[in-house]
Amino acid sequence: MITFQLNNRAVAFDLDPDTPLLWVVRDHFKLKGSKFGCGMGLCGACTMHVNGEALRTCTLPVSAVQGAAITTIEGLGTPNNMHPLQQAWVEHSVPQCGYCQSGQLMSASALLSKNPNPSDDEIHAAMDGNICRCGTYGKIKAAIKSSAAAMRSGALAESAVQSFDPANRGVES
Amino acid sequence: MNTRSLTRRRFLLTTGAVASGLIVGCSTSHAKSVGYAPVVGAFEPNSFIQITSDNQVIFYLPSSEMGQGILDGLSTLIAEELRVSPELIEVRHASLHEDYKNPEMKMQATGGSNATRAQFLPIRQAAADAAAAIRNAAAQQLNQPVDKLLLADGQVLADGQRYAYSEFVALAAALPVPENSPLRSPQQFDQIGRERPRLDALAKSTGTAIFGIDAEVENLYRAVVVRAPVVGAAVQRFDGTAALQQAGVVDVIELRHGVAVVADSYWRARKAAESIEVNWTQTELAGWSSDSLYQEFVETLNDASEKGLECCLEGEGDKLLDQAEHRVSADYFAPYLAHATMEPLNCTVEIDGDSCAVYVGTQSVQASAGAAVYYGDFDADKVKMHPAFLGGGFGRRGLGDDVAEAVEIARKTGRNIQVVWSREDDMRNDFYRPPALVRMQAGVSDQGIIETWSVRRVGPNIMDHVLDQWVDVLAPDYLNKGFVDWLSKFGYSVFKRFKADPSAGDGIYNDYDTPNKEVRHIPRDPGLRTGFWRAVGNSSNAFFKECFIDELAQRAGIDELAFRLANLQNNPRLKNATQLVAEKAGWGKPLAAGHFHGLAVHSSFGSAVAQIAEVSVEGDKIIVHRVTAAIDCGTVVNPGIVRDAVEGGIIYGLTAALYGEITLKEGVVEQSNFHNYPMLRMAETPAVDVHIVASQEHPEGVGEPGLPPLAPAVANAVFKATGQRLRHLPLRLS
Ligand code: FES
Ligand code: FES
Repeated sequence: MITFQLNNRAVAFDLDPDTPLLWVVRDHFKLKGSKFGCGMGLCGACTMHVNGEALRTCTLPVSAVQGAAITTIEGLGTPNNMHPLQQAWVEHSVPQCGYCQSGQLMSASALLSKNPNPSDDEIHAAMDGNICRCGTYGKIKAAIKSSAAAMRSGALAESAVQSFDPANRGVES
Repeated sequence: MNTRSLTRRRFLLTTGAVASGLIVGCSTSHAKSVGYAPVVGAFEPNSFIQITSDNQVIFYLPSSEMGQGILDGLSTLIAEELRVSPELIEVRHASLHEDYKNPEMKMQATGGSNATRAQFLPIRQAAADAAAAIRNAAAQQLNQPVDKLLLADGQVLADGQRYAYSEFVALAAALPVPENSPLRSPQQFDQIGRERPRLDALAKSTGTAIFGIDAEVENLYRAVVVRAPVVGAAVQRFDGTAALQQAGVVDVIELRHGVAVVADSYWRARKAAESIEVNWTQTELAGWSSDSLYQEFVETLNDASEKGLECCLEGEGDKLLDQAEHRVSADYFAPYLAHATMEPLNCTVEIDGDSCAVYVGTQSVQASAGAAVYYGDFDADKVKMHPAFLGGGFGRRGLGDDVAEAVEIARKTGRNIQVVWSREDDMRNDFYRPPALVRMQAGVSDQGIIETWSVRRVGPNIMDHVLDQWVDVLAPDYLNKGFVDWLSKFGYSVFKRFKADPSAGDGIYNDYDTPNKEVRHIPRDPGLRTGFWRAVGNSSNAFFKECFIDELAQRAGIDELAFRLANLQNNPRLKNATQLVAEKAGWGKPLAAGHFHGLAVHSSFGSAVAQIAEVSVEGDKIIVHRVTAAIDCGTVVNPGIVRDAVEGGIIYGLTAALYGEITLKEGVVEQSNFHNYPMLRMAETPAVDVHIVASQEHPEGVGEPGLPPLAPAVANAVFKATGQRLRHLPLRLS
């Protein structure tokens, strides 16, 4: 029996301990935001935070996270309560197909939590493990920078992104 | 003009999961994969739009969203004519129905960068008619003259009062739906052409967008397929006993093309699959390696008795080559390429007796449904399609092979099945961009006018393999299978013997004014499957053409920009884009030390694109610092998405130009994952500036046209930097 925290919830997994964390999270706990891209730690689509570190979970056996705190994209923020980086992602229209973006966001958020003012080289180093086949790298970089600047200045407007409230549907001017 | 059948009763309803009248969710961006579902009390003027009694506007998206932005684009068209805010539209992936066929392709499919062009008028018409219906109903209900009513922001404005559309849906549903309602004029557009964040960005930034791989149904088993190392080989015999004894494994079965291991988890299926030994049949492909194939191409190209199939013959063809002041000849080569969509192929099938539900991200709902019918032996009306977002398409998704395999396993085991291809499966079982060896020849006058243009190319066709796939899954189900098989083989021989594959000539002769042109294609195919790869034939032909144009200019001693402009007199859009990019990039102006510009221009999918790459070389490393692009794609629906698509094409093209190469060894694809088929990463990504030519012409393609000029622009810059003319892709300095 392996126990760990998944987005601040205590969970237990008692099947094969060599199962990569990615499949445990996706298929056992049904959190589908983290993606499978290569299974070899080469693309970053499966990136989650393990005790705050951005790790590739397609090659990380679940036995290795006994007692650890895991955060997935679902734990980073929600459509109604986005992480500042997610807000920046929307403002910059970063995603194209979107498949890589959960992994990109988890790598970027781990970076900013340690380094609020990363240089280009530091961004490249932190994001080097994340492939985007659609070619959104330029926008990812721009979104990381603007988000970092906003977080540093503390001036992140609550209303930076208008999230849609169905209660207001059709009656706003 | 909208003559679409509106007989909603004929819809293949896809699910009962959406309770009638209850619309779950709120954001346009989540794009539910429920297909079409009737909503009690809603106004349903046509197959695309529902307006519910709680004022929800639902749009059934007929095209596949694979990153190119069509969800945003077509929703914008709905918003423009229906007078609602695009953010308030709930978008659902349309299921299978003939009303959702692409009007140009006559098939429910997304490709060829035509989804905006082909649907720009019909989708707007559907929304304009819906708006007119609401207005008519409001007039009647409020007892006001129709022309006193205004529609704005999802509301009817009458006498200073505002009424939600929902107040009139009941009456609108009872009245006839108007046809041919006037469309808004470009001067009135307030949604089309507006820059705003793309509608699916929120779902795709929060992990809530549902891709095919995210499908989850009750009692779902996972299958891993052991595939032949040489694609096309069949199972001779195998031993699955060890696999069957492993924990969680429930079935080990033989398929048409491999062995499936079915287990209660992906990981267990995958581990068990490793214990399976298979003896495979021998195929012709196993006799080929990349070196021997290249030799075969060289010998064929040099064999004068091989006349090839005609792609183009204009004026005197190549007869006058020798009479020109400069005769130039050069051979170019491009390799096989894999698509490497970020989401590996996958498909989920829920089976219930004689019916099934298919969950898949596909570029053709129709071909995917056809695959379920043909390979799962289901009646057509017993197959329910649940399309989803695609984690990249690029031409790979929509041939039906992913679905075929999953339904075969579900049918044989009677279980609900998900098959997720490993990256290795995906890379080694692709329908690859075909290679080509090409002899470019031209006669050029002293003034730099191209008088004769001649191309002789050798390589595999695409249609042979695509037809082989598609005839089976698209042929009407009343054709018996023997006939369908015969038809697919017949298609094969047509393109082998009688007619040049359309992709062979794609874009290799059309752009410049040359009076005498001859393009011939000699099919040579070892049997590795080929298919549509982003920009299709243009992806390699633009490289051959635009590098060769630089060679001609240099031979004539004329600046490469001036040479192109002089030969683009009859191609004003491309000429204009070329001038624009030259101005924006500062062609001819000094650059940083060691930096060089390369220019390439190309029209494809109706759009004209010109690019200038700024490149330096360190040792044998090619560094691309900046790419400046200009595109004329007619009317723009969302400029941000046009720029993204062009930039995406540039990055996809740069990966191919610098690294892209699939090689064969005794029939086995040597590449398997991103360590040996590398992708461009952030640090190597150039700055990209995209400039859009203002236009009110009909919209044209943007998903693919950004790609073709990239490789030649880089190669032309590398020549300036090093004097080395790289005529083979990927670009490698020696
Ligand atoms: S799926 Fe884990 S790094 Fe690619
Ligand atoms: S957005 Fe498609 S792979 Fe990154």
